[in-house]
Amino acid sequence: MKARDLMIPLHEFLKPSNTLKDAVNKLKSARRDEMRIGVKGLPVLDDCGKLVGHLSMGDILKAVFPSYMSLMDLGDFTWDGMVESLAKKVSGKSVESVMTKQVVTVPEDAPLMECVDHMLKKDVKRLIVLDKEGKVAGMLYERDVFFVITKSMLDEPEKKHR
Amino acid sequence: MTHEAAAQPFVMDATFWTATVIFVLAYAVIVSEKIHKTIVAIMGASLMLVLKILQQHEAFHLEEFGIDWNVIFLLISMMIIINLMRPTGIFEYIAIKSAKWGKGEPFRIMAIFALVTAVLSALLDNVTTVLLITPVTLLIADALEVDPIPYLISCALASNIGGTATLIGDPPNIMIASKAQLDFMAFIYHLAPIVVVMMVFYLFAIKFIWGRKLRTRDELKQRIMQMNEREAIKDPVMLKKSLIVLAMVLTGFVLHGMLHFQPATVALFGAGLLLLLSGTHEPHHILAEVEWPTIFFFMGLFVIVGGVVKVGLIKWMSIQVLALTQGNLLATSMVVMWFSAFASAIVDNIPYVATMNPLIIDMARQIWPDETGRALLQHADLMPLWWSLALGACLGGNGSAIGASANVIVVGMSEKAGKRISFMKFMAYGMPIMILTVAISTLYVWLRYYAFSS
Repeated sequence: MKARDLMIPLHEFLKPSNTLKDAVNKLKSARRDEMRIGVKGLPVLDDCGKLVGHLSMGDILKAVFPSYMSLMDLGDFTWDGMVESLAKKVSGKSVESVMTKQVVTVPEDAPLMECVDHMLKKDVKRLIVLDKEGKVAGMLYERDVFFVITKSMLDEPEKKHR
Repeated sequence: MTHEAAAQPFVMDATFWTATVIFVLAYAVIVSEKIHKTIVAIMGASLMLVLKILQQHEAFHLEEFGIDWNVIFLLISMMIIINLMRPTGIFEYIAIKSAKWGKGEPFRIMAIFALVTAVLSALLDNVTTVLLITPVTLLIADALEVDPIPYLISCALASNIGGTATLIGDPPNIMIASKAQLDFMAFIYHLAPIVVVMMVFYLFAIKFIWGRKLRTRDELKQRIMQMNEREAIKDPVMLKKSLIVLAMVLTGFVLHGMLHFQPATVALFGAGLLLLLSGTHEPHHILAEVEWPTIFFFMGLFVIVGGVVKVGLIKWMSIQVLALTQGNLLATSMVVMWFSAFASAIVDNIPYVATMNPLIIDMARQIWPDETGRALLQHADLMPLWWSLALGACLGGNGSAIGASANVIVVGMSEKAGKRISFMKFMAYGMPIMILTVAISTLYVWLRYYAFSS
């Protein structure tokens, strides 16, 4: 199986100049497949359609998380409503300033194991799949790879018995 | 040695000019910040060796031309001790406790933070102190919904004032102490009293500058009062061990002059003991957190300066300074203090003091040619010059955003938190405070060392 066969095609993208408020709106309403609505991350394309980054839930959490909290152990000294008020404060930030710029991509004809290799070594749960022209074609999710694995585990014994 | 040779102890030959060019070029590139200062220092030092201006054994083993290992090991050891103490949560505890002591009142907290920063800076180095205080300051400002910038600038300025008070408070003092063989108590006796006076003036100054502008609401004060500082302590056992070792080290500093130990010996023992007591099997984590770029910056600078000392450039410079002040020691002290202040505001005070130390010793040699060793280095009439250098170089750091490493760190952290402090904004507060504190120092040095002596 190749990346192309397992990926979910993408139709919606973010722009670097979008605000975080626009972005979360898009994430909320984006179609994941025929059934589900709402995604946890989207690729960011510039005006020419070139991939320049990826905005995920984690990136947005990091944007809300104040930089000083990562420098010292201050988690015990926070207060109710802190996340909410900081979220309002950063809602005007641009996607460009928050997104992950080092995006992990795979070509659409990459074997599945290559995708797993990227997921484990680069610690990501989603891979952006590129077509032959280098344009974003879709997204490969960890859970879909997991379904392939479970399926082959459960199928295998039956085949042997036959 | 003939009389002529003594009068003309150096010649401006090719070696002289080569060393001078390396020195000037290295300092110019450091100021320009085009290349990281540590790389410049290592390159400059290695060029001094490759071009045979210094022999390797001179650079590595001679006190006069080489690396001052007393400074290096004092810095490394103190960094190790702090790195071991940090995870215990003691610094978070102190900061939260201070904020609560301030009862959530914005100016009260600012004043207490300035005092705590000054005291911590006197006992640790300034950079460590602001690294520990700045994150909590930003948190407190968020809790009170006030502008954090006044707090951050105030902390940076207080750390440079506080650091002036002791031998270990600021790198210039460490370097001066080592070169002039001064002990910890000498700094306490000569610098700490005036630093206390400066802090009083400083508190009035920040009250005047920011006191009226800082306002918050009562319900926000509750956020501070509800914090429980005890939760900060993550490792009470290690904390006890750290405090015992720190107390031993500070006692060791107080007594090192009497016991004839160098400060580095005291600090190294403390670092070794705390590493042992921590029971860690992975010292590489602790050792990796030593600020090696700073350490190598020092080492490189010592060799670069050693090179220009050897060829006589420093001697030539000291002759010029003495000619300017006509050998009048009060005038020399004042020139050294004010020049050091402005120089340290513009350039890093570490390379500045590295150059000034041998220059002052050279001046002393010219004024008292018959004295040597400690009698020369601590000549009663020379002492005010050392104190003037220390006061000027340490306090000068407040003059601009790049004047001291502490300022650079505060500005950097503030920018990361989305609050930019421009170069001019920092200077608008820092420069007046620098001039105020150096003016107090001028009066102090004059009154204490010159006014009543014949």
